[in-house]
Amino acid sequence: MSVILSVAHNELRHLVRSRVALTGLILVALLTFAAALTSQAYQADQAALRERLQHAADEDFEAQPNRHPHRVVHFGHFAIRPASGLAAMDPGVEAYTGNMIFLEGHRQNSANFGDARQSSLLVRFGQLSPALVLQVIAPLLLVFIGAGMVAGERERGTLRQSLLAGVSGGALLAGKGLALGAAALVISAPAFALLLWLGVSSAARLSAVALSAGGYLAYLAFWTLLIIAVSATARRSRSALIALVGAWTFAVVLTPRVSPEIAAALAPLPTRVETDIAVQRDLRAMGDSHNPNDPYFAAFKQKTLKAYGVERVEDLPVNYRGLLALEGEKLTSSLFNRYSNQAFAAMEAQGRVMDALVVVSPTVAIRRLSMTLSETDLFAYRLFLEQAEAYRYDLVQRLNRLQATAVTAADDAAKSKSASAEARSRISAEYWRAMPHFDPARPSAADVMGRALPALAALLFWVVAGALFAAQAGRRLNRSAA
Amino acid sequence: MTTEGEGKAIQIEDLVVRYGDRQVIDHLSLGVAAGEVYGLLGGNGAGKSTTLQAILGFVSPTSGRVRVVGLDPSAEPVGVRRAIAYIPENVALYDHLSARENVDYFLRLARLRPEQDEMEAAFRTVGLAEEAWSRPVSGFSKGMRQKTAIALALLRRASVLLLDEPTSGLDPGATADFNALVSRLRGEGAAILIVTHDLIGVADIADRIGFLEKGRIGDEMVAEGPDRFDLRALHDRFARVRAA
Repeated sequence: MSVILSVAHNELRHLVRSRVALTGLILVALLTFAAALTSQAYQADQAALRERLQHAADEDFEAQPNRHPHRVVHFGHFAIRPASGLAAMDPGVEAYTGNMIFLEGHRQNSANFGDARQSSLLVRFGQLSPALVLQVIAPLLLVFIGAGMVAGERERGTLRQSLLAGVSGGALLAGKGLALGAAALVISAPAFALLLWLGVSSAARLSAVALSAGGYLAYLAFWTLLIIAVSATARRSRSALIALVGAWTFAVVLTPRVSPEIAAALAPLPTRVETDIAVQRDLRAMGDSHNPNDPYFAAFKQKTLKAYGVERVEDLPVNYRGLLALEGEKLTSSLFNRYSNQAFAAMEAQGRVMDALVVVSPTVAIRRLSMTLSETDLFAYRLFLEQAEAYRYDLVQRLNRLQATAVTAADDAAKSKSASAEARSRISAEYWRAMPHFDPARPSAADVMGRALPALAALLFWVVAGALFAAQAGRRLNRSAA
Repeated sequence: MTTEGEGKAIQIEDLVVRYGDRQVIDHLSLGVAAGEVYGLLGGNGAGKSTTLQAILGFVSPTSGRVRVVGLDPSAEPVGVRRAIAYIPENVALYDHLSARENVDYFLRLARLRPEQDEMEAAFRTVGLAEEAWSRPVSGFSKGMRQKTAIALALLRRASVLLLDEPTSGLDPGATADFNALVSRLRGEGAAILIVTHDLIGVADIADRIGFLEKGRIGDEMVAEGPDRFDLRALHDRFARVRAA
């Protein structure tokens, strides 16, 4: 162990005395610090803003005067997604998906469905975040620092001299790996400090914080092992640098950018225009509650009359228009849900393709893990949409039931002709003040962990692969240092 | 002094090394005992470097046997290297470190904990000027690097010394100092193998000289009497081996 520490100490001494490497290290550490600071400030602002907006939306909704319930249906409401605990670490798809939905009767807003092109945008690089620095920039800096760690010594002859002192190739590489790992820790320290802060400030689950930190450590460990192994295998530092920059380009830039396109090709998503046309077509086919000859609603009318044991709509103990609104909302919602589920099924299929690609690139694995643990992935987004839709449906149906029970059929029918009927059709504002608030649940810890496991396993696979490569390079070093 | 097996610190028996179809070492046999200096003399391409590589465990024999302090360098390269102090023709040191830091580091790699007093004594012994001890070696001459490496070898207290063209590029004074050091180490029981093409230089310190040509020992001479070697005879026999 002392030999490994001696090698590590010598490498770090070299790093410190080499101004260029030290400057690069300090600059990237500062970049991580800036990313952590700005991201945390931005997310804190976002969290406060969303809370304020939701509060204001609740107030506006409750501030409506006495009015007809159907007007309240069209007044609408807003559902705003609360900020997730680790969004400051990894904002994930939030920047592209939006976090606010206008809820109204008769329709799910098109944002709920998402744009077909959105699926490829979801995984593209976005704002400066600690995750971006650790996933993209940190490996590149480690490549520049570490490519010559062994190959450069081979060129200068000191590698042979070191081995002739009686140190094993494995111990030598372990020492160099330790030094490069220490450099990686310096770069990533601000991000880990942010994770710790988010954990202790109760903004995030400790299990997610620990797994996220472990995931990033594994990711950086993989790069450290790969860099040292390639450097030990290459005859020249220039060759090692070219090979490693190639590996970085493939793993960090190419695969994460191409994989959504592959996923989209294998599991295509209809375009927004196609979806809108199909929805409109199905809506027309569904029936028209205002048309007395519409077969569906004619049947509904007969069923209702039979259920209440009366002959005419006017004899019903409830307002038939309210019942029609309830039934119409049920129909349109089921239609919208069907399209929404189809879109999400396609996105899930794309997600499965992306999951499979974690064996091609460790960067895809860490991105999946990081977004999942930060609750900023597509799953968390979908959960928000589903809860918003459930809230919308419940709200609208509560209002429709009020129309059916609190507004008489006579007043409802005469409200456009009679001022007194119109006044009576306005029900008390206390009804909307008593409506429940939108309070979405976060993904459960078990869900998050379950979804994080495949990416975590992939990262461990990459670390083991890197360690095996480095161990083999160490054994080869014992035989040939020329 | 550690000697095992056949009593030789370095024992090479019937060594053959091939690189593909090319046979570089051809049934080479030689031994260096503790307290002996063996000069392996040969021209370019004679197989000197490959012989050293085989002793250091960087090249595996195609056939034959190599033992260093009883260990097989192919099977136990790290163990063998711990027993050897190797001084190459061009000493490689870490340019960002001083002579003192270099020696300290290499000793730590050899699992030794050098005392500062010992290190300074070694520097004095090899004649490295005191003001150079703490200077980065990037500005060192070849001779100063050589002296640093010899100081390291002294501190290693290795039982086997391999010297590859050790006086190449040294001025006559430095060469004489170097030879004195080698003699001292021999007196302390080290087995020393000098690989060189400098016939006159090696004649000053070697106890035996083997003429290596085309991968095999063509002839061998042993130092005798106060004059040790007859230089003219040495030269003639070397020339005959090369012409054969």
